[in-house]
Amino acid sequence: MTPELFPALITGAALFGIGIYGALSQTNLVMLLMGVELILAGAMVNLVAFWHYLHPDTPAGQMFVLIVMTVMAVEMAVGFGVAIARFRAIGSVEMEEAAELKG
Amino acid sequence: MAMISAQTFFISFFGLAAVWFGIVVFRTHSMMRSALALLFSQTAIGAMFIGMQAEFLGVLQIMMMATEMSIMAIFMVMFMMDPGGLGKMDMTHQKRRSVITGLVAFLAIVAVALFTNWGTLAGSVPDSAQQIEDLGLELMGRSMLIFETAGLTLLTAMIAATAVAVEPLKRNRN
Repeated sequence: MTPELFPALITGAALFGIGIYGALSQTNLVMLLMGVELILAGAMVNLVAFWHYLHPDTPAGQMFVLIVMTVMAVEMAVGFGVAIARFRAIGSVEMEEAAELKG
Repeated sequence: MAMISAQTFFISFFGLAAVWFGIVVFRTHSMMRSALALLFSQTAIGAMFIGMQAEFLGVLQIMMMATEMSIMAIFMVMFMMDPGGLGKMDMTHQKRRSVITGLVAFLAIVAVALFTNWGTLAGSVPDSAQQIEDLGLELMGRSMLIFETAGLTLLTAMIAATAVAVEPLKRNRN
């Protein structure tokens, strides 16, 4: 048992849960991206906690956090690119109106 | 021992703040408040990182998220009919299913966290200068390929986002 880890792991789990709720429940593309940001933030909290409490001499833990930050930036860039394209095409970024993309 | 307790207190405090602001993101009708709440949540996470002695990552997180959330707030104002939330529009769907899925995910991860044997706690963390040196050597050594791939992915994403966002040329069909 390592109770010192729990505050960080439970925070990570809560952020992941809130992010899942946001990504599934929001109808607006930008709000949906916010949910995905929270999911990735939960993953980062866990990675830093594992690095700090279990493997502080292994810099690969910090390197993984940098990769997750890169994924966050990529997700935002591509998400906003898609949002601009949708807004230009139909004048809205509501996901309910994106059902036509199913083909 | 007293130092460890103070550290755990600060990590828990900023963890609670991050979760609280994370909830506020989806509870307010104002898009601006949502973006600001997400900024506060991410800043609290950065403070948690500093509490866990990962100073470089903590400062990086706060700086990066401040920029990212400012851009997000600008996009909110650009795209939303009611960015101030004065009309109290409901912008959710399948709410019940989403709450249940979020709760199940939270409980499953908490169960894994509680019932996994994480082994023994490690000793002291290297000082911040040593951490940055180790991270630099890691990025330029063993993890070079992953680091280069991340850079290439960012470049591809920038090109892709620009290509998707620019107005298509109106071709003359004559």
